[in-house]
Amino acid sequence: MITMTNVTKTYEGQEGAFNAVDDVSLEIGENEIFGLIGESGAGKSTILRFINALETPTEGTVEVDGTDVFSLPKKRLRQHQKSIGMIFQQFNLLNNKTVRENVRLPLELHKYNDPLSVGEVLDFVGLGGKSDRYPGQLSGGEKQRVGIARALITRPKILLCDEPTSALDESTTEEIVGVLKRAHETFGMTVLVVTHELDVVKSMCERCAVLENGHLVDIIDIARGEERRSYDSYHQRVLEVLKDA
Amino acid sequence: MPDTFQEYITRVIEYWPALFESLWETGIMMGFAMVAAIALGLPLGTLLFLTARGQPMQNVFIYQLSNAFVNIVRSFPFLLLVVAMQPFIRAVYGRATGDPVAASFPMMLIAIALYARFVQQSLLDVPKGVTETAQSMGASIPQLVWKFLFVESRSSLIIGFTTAFVSFISYSTIMGVVGGGGIGDFAIRYGYQRYETDIMYTAIIVIIIIVQLIQWWGLRLAKKLDKR
Ligand SMILES: Nc1ncnc2c1ncn2[C@@H]1O[C@H](COP(=O)(O)OP(=O)(O)OP(=O)(O)O)[C@@H](O)[C@H]1O
Ligand SMILES: [Mg+2]
Repeated sequence: MITMTNVTKTYEGQEGAFNAVDDVSLEIGENEIFGLIGESGAGKSTILRFINALETPTEGTVEVDGTDVFSLPKKRLRQHQKSIGMIFQQFNLLNNKTVRENVRLPLELHKYNDPLSVGEVLDFVGLGGKSDRYPGQLSGGEKQRVGIARALITRPKILLCDEPTSALDESTTEEIVGVLKRAHETFGMTVLVVTHELDVVKSMCERCAVLENGHLVDIIDIARGEERRSYDSYHQRVLEVLKDA
Repeated sequence: MPDTFQEYITRVIEYWPALFESLWETGIMMGFAMVAAIALGLPLGTLLFLTARGQPMQNVFIYQLSNAFVNIVRSFPFLLLVVAMQPFIRAVYGRATGDPVAASFPMMLIAIALYARFVQQSLLDVPKGVTETAQSMGASIPQLVWKFLFVESRSSLIIGFTTAFVSFISYSTIMGVVGGGGIGDFAIRYGYQRYETDIMYTAIIVIIIIVQLIQWWGLRLAKKLDKR
């Protein structure tokens, strides 16, 4: 469980100090898929990055499973970070390492009790045959699959996704959303998804918080409609959209 | 100037031992400079990167100190640096001039400062997301440096080293002026003092060939290691 209490992040801007995150309190349950939406600059990434301490709040506390993240000494903090997976908008793969080496990277930094194997996790994200490629030889969607595999290999208890599909086209977005949902079902972890794409939140999340200028304005329970068809070909969807009009 | 090509060849063969010895002396200076660049320049450049504002080891004092060191050494006119270092070299090594080891001290200093700057620049060229990813995985500073930063900057680090190497050769010739030996000394002795111009040009051409070879090899290696 993730609990944020009155967190504020203040930056010194050119026109004086401003609050990128302003007095936000939030609770995310065990095993929940939680969305965080808002316009550009609303403070979404900042909030997400509090959880693995990439960003430090100016005020307020962040607790994960009852532990105050920002009271941890350095070594314990790294232990905390090791149990959290993160995926990025720009994938952040190491371009000079192969897919296999990228996915293995977290295991080289820490000992994990029960990690997945590279083969298992690459099969899971559907990249079984490409383990010896370099990221430069992959499409955007494939790169994000590598990013997801790298996060999943440690069996994280929390998965942080910062705009995981914002660099991808529509059909690739659906594929990646599918992989993330499957990961949640299969491995069971708390997932936090930051995005400005409402479709993504709608098809993935159970609840989502809406941010405006650093303020939390609402938390919405998302209605589950029937699953949308998601395996249409690109051509079919183009026809659907363009001929409907 | 010799009249025929044969005469020229004979002269080159005659001077070959002296030329070879000069090259050997230059090689000694270069060796010291390269070891210093890697053993101290690389860590110093990494420190400059890590302690700058917004970086994982942000530390104004260490950053300013190392930055000042690099700036001062690099802006020192090299000949004056050599002269200024004489008392220090004498204290450490016993003598300040007359052999390539003594001449290596200023070479090492400039090598450290020069390569540190190249390293810092290479690391700044690594996308910020790489450091962020390392931190999100709970990487320690040594892990960040070895498993992330150096991996992603390796070809740029090699290109920087090749460029620095070429500059070291240039600096090494200045050592000839103060009796440090080497190829610069050779060129002055034969070309400048004795007007044996053909021998001087031969020495210069040898140097150019060596530089070209090193550069070609460095770039090739960098390219091979670059998978971006
Ligand atoms: N290091 C910084 N210094 C100053 N201001 C910053 C810094 N980092 C972020 N900000 C500001 O804080 C605000 C919130 O940033 P944040 O990255 O959390 O927004 P976001 O909701 O993720 O936006 P986006 O959708 O564009 O990623 C923005 O106005 C941004 O300009
Ligand atoms: Mg953001």
